[in-house]
Amino acid sequence: MNKTSRVFLISCAILSGILIIALFRLQVIKGGHYKRVAESNFVRIRRLTATRGEIYDQKYRPIVQNIPSHNLYLTSGKIQNIPALARFLSLHFDITVQEVTEMVLKQRFRTYEEILVVDNVPFEKMLSVSEHLNYFPELTFRIGSTRDYLHPNHFTGYVGRINEREYERYEEEDYSINSYIGKTGLERYYEVLLRGKDGREVVQVDAQGRSLGLFQEGGYIEPLNGLSLVLTIDNELQDFASRAFPAGIKGTVVVSDVSSGGILAYVSKPEYDPNLFMQRITPEIWNDLNSEDKPLMDRVIHATYPPGSVFKPITAGLGLQKQIINRHTRLSSCIGGFQVGNRFFRCWDHSGHGTSNVIEALMESCDVFFYDLSLKLRLEDFKAYVLASHLGTKTGIDLPNERQGFFPDAAWYRKTFGRNVGIIGHKVNLSIGQGEVLTTPLQMNAYYAAIANNGTWIQPHLLKQTVGRARLTRQQVERIQIKQLPFSQSDLKVIQDGLYAVCNGAKGTARSVQVPKAETFGKTGSAENFMGKKTHAWFCGYIVTDKPEIAVTVFMENAGGGSAMAAPVARQIFDFYMGNIEDIKRPAVLPPQFRSAEELTQDRSETLQQDIDSEPEPEPMQDSNEEVQSD
Amino acid sequence: MKKFSLINHKKFDFVLLGLLVALIAVGFVAIFTASTTVISDQVITASHWWKQIIFAGIAGLAIALLLRLPMPIFDILILPAFVLNLLALILVLFTPAVSGSHRWFSIGNVNFQPSESAKLLTILMVARYISKENLSEYRQILYGFGIMIVPVILIMIEPDFGTTLVFWASLMAMFIAAEVPLFFILLMVSPVISLVASLHWLGIIVWIAILIFLLMRARLSWVAITVACIINTFIALITPVFWMGLKDYQQNRILTFLDPTRDPLGAGYQIIQSKIAIGSGSLTGKGWLMGTQKNMNFLPEHHTDFIFSVIGEEFGFVGSIFIVLLFFAFFARLIHSVIQLKVRERKVATAGIMAYLMFQTFINIGMNIGLVPATGIPLPFISYGGSNLLINTISVAVILKYLNERGFIK
Repeated sequence: MNKTSRVFLISCAILSGILIIALFRLQVIKGGHYKRVAESNFVRIRRLTATRGEIYDQKYRPIVQNIPSHNLYLTSGKIQNIPALARFLSLHFDITVQEVTEMVLKQRFRTYEEILVVDNVPFEKMLSVSEHLNYFPELTFRIGSTRDYLHPNHFTGYVGRINEREYERYEEEDYSINSYIGKTGLERYYEVLLRGKDGREVVQVDAQGRSLGLFQEGGYIEPLNGLSLVLTIDNELQDFASRAFPAGIKGTVVVSDVSSGGILAYVSKPEYDPNLFMQRITPEIWNDLNSEDKPLMDRVIHATYPPGSVFKPITAGLGLQKQIINRHTRLSSCIGGFQVGNRFFRCWDHSGHGTSNVIEALMESCDVFFYDLSLKLRLEDFKAYVLASHLGTKTGIDLPNERQGFFPDAAWYRKTFGRNVGIIGHKVNLSIGQGEVLTTPLQMNAYYAAIANNGTWIQPHLLKQTVGRARLTRQQVERIQIKQLPFSQSDLKVIQDGLYAVCNGAKGTARSVQVPKAETFGKTGSAENFMGKKTHAWFCGYIVTDKPEIAVTVFMENAGGGSAMAAPVARQIFDFYMGNIEDIKRPAVLPPQFRSAEELTQDRSETLQQDIDSEPEPEPMQDSNEEVQSD
Repeated sequence: MKKFSLINHKKFDFVLLGLLVALIAVGFVAIFTASTTVISDQVITASHWWKQIIFAGIAGLAIALLLRLPMPIFDILILPAFVLNLLALILVLFTPAVSGSHRWFSIGNVNFQPSESAKLLTILMVARYISKENLSEYRQILYGFGIMIVPVILIMIEPDFGTTLVFWASLMAMFIAAEVPLFFILLMVSPVISLVASLHWLGIIVWIAILIFLLMRARLSWVAITVACIINTFIALITPVFWMGLKDYQQNRILTFLDPTRDPLGAGYQIIQSKIAIGSGSLTGKGWLMGTQKNMNFLPEHHTDFIFSVIGEEFGFVGSIFIVLLFFAFFARLIHSVIQLKVRERKVATAGIMAYLMFQTFINIGMNIGLVPATGIPLPFISYGGSNLLINTISVAVILKYLNERGFIK
């Protein structure tokens, strides 16, 4: 018994003794040292923000870049005098006392973490404020980075500081409360790729928060920088399209590459400057951004409009598919209009077109041909065909919140207008792209590109590939959807011939749209609408050299006639494209900053090898008398 | 006077109870300051403090109930309780993982950790079986390991390696108390010591020398001594080679396995902070509620695993020594209890309980000082935590009960 208890007692005493000695060393012998460490130096885990990926056009020209910014931070654990701090901040930065107290209260369980008080402080202001910071050890300026939108547009979107709701929703994703997060456009759609992953380091900092270097025993987790996006956009074509669009008119221009589905230009007017969102927005600026013209709205995918006559190829296609008409079929004569029941549906040309076949009807955009055709079509077939043509449904472009457009069916009519609604009159309107049908300019562009592409519909997309830590093609990031439009080869040819006639026939509504060295195909449209007195102007078309090149859609809200207003803009774009076709189509060389170390050394060693091969051989060196030291 | 029949005034150990209460009271003080943040003139206290008081109240109730429980019923309940606990250990493996391990049942606001209660119940079970009359040492060792291996494996799966070590320490203590010859204990412990000694070539030599000396004193045959030394030397030599042969991520895996709460920034950021906090307390500390490191929340766990660092910072060397000596007095009293108890099973159980409390205490304080790598072991009676406080208190209550019942058995 005693032996047992002796064992226990001795072990207990030894262990206690070890602890006491260690504590003595720690607190008495090294007490002063640790006191200094604790008081004047702080050890802290600093988040290493990953660099956000940038955005380039297909030739690696920058569209969105990171630039340095000066941000003011507050460490609440070091506040000496809250009222003085609040006065200082309200004096220099327009921050109310209440906002300051709220900030401090929110951080009370993490008092060593820095709160972002003001971001993107202009340089001069930063200098003048810095002079006073001696009195406020809790405030520090840090260099961060902010976004510079070099070419304002509607597809990149913009970033902003993360708000509370987003912070909670993405809790798992390791955002700090000061993180940037994409709010709209590509910045938001590809947020995960662009953001990368923040790292961590353990640093020893002084009372001013200045780093004294890594703690020797501390650790380091490297930040993973975000991937940069290389888009299908061509900056020069984008700029040109934006300038070619007439001032004072709201609308869009979409230019896509037929063979790949990549978007070359994406314009929505009126435009806004995303750089405004990088700083505090004054009420005046906010009012401008939300004016009646709605400059913030992306009209390419967030607005739907009646397509008008550019919808006619769909009606024609259905007629051909159902073999109600063929290339030569002539339907009822157009006398400036067409009688259906007790209603006279007018053609746009009141003098009438006489009888036409489908090609002529497309060329002159005769409404009556299509009215007559619609009487022979069933609404269900129409709806099914529209969906098969990938209209009335989202294209799936890599941007958030795309609208899907609309095409009605019998059930919808019954619900909206009552059970005894007459469908026929509605069908007549639908056949020429009026009535309840709604499309986005992007959907129309994708459809016409598919006609150009032998009936193969390719999902429109903006991302070509990523560069940086990983090089991924768009296909690797997200599969590009491809499907076939419901055309047989011969029927497709009929439609293409019709579109050719529009631009090249004697009576073609877009015969002015001609470009040297290429064949033009297209369709004009002037859509009646509820938004104003004038019609919406549409032009959808494409050009073909030895193969299809680009598809262009120009859309103008309430601007008048498609052939008068929209077609000329499209022509300018075709001209520009053909004039610069070599530059535009030349494959871009990957700039050195994106190449990996191995690739660069490989390049260099190849050039070096060439140099060596061309040099005469040097003489062998004499043996040196130096001793080689061993370790 | 029937009311106080649960306490036998002559036998009840008031000193032990007093030390227990003192420790819990120290816990209140420490948790209060750990939960309090001071920003210039604002003082904010979180809810941990009064929650610990409630836990202590429940623990007090548990002590009273246990003392009231008739001894025969207590004896009968041990086996079914142990089996139920094993079932709980199996079930907990199927709960959703919390920071990489399956340790807790969460029902509403209440958390229950089956590995905690497993400690006490396994000790009681092992104590019973190795204390039977006329068992050979081999049988004792066999039963001891046999009973313990089941919960230990289940706990290791969770994973929770820290608790596994605690079991092991208890087992050794129980063997000692059950009068298993010391050299057996030595042989069982030696591989682990060899592993640790392999850190330094000098350590290996010194350790093997000590081993030989002790085994000779135990009068083992030369054959046995040689075999033991060869095995141990082999382990000591092979460990560093094996460790170096592992890739970084494999080493990381093992280290993380040994402690899942390991600081991902490596090299114990928490330990650094703890040392700074304790060291800067110097001789007399910064004063109650005035700890700057605690205030700035550099240590995320300072009301649980790192509560000692708060005491060290605010009360200095004086305070730290006070705590160590208080624990020493507590353990000395427990050792005294081991001597006092005559019934073998109870003596052994008490040794086991004492060992596991000692182990937790020294590991935790050692971790706070930086002598021991970060593990997830809290400081008994002082760290915030209901499960831990409850089980530890009940364990001491069992010992109090044993002491209370002295003389009632033939």
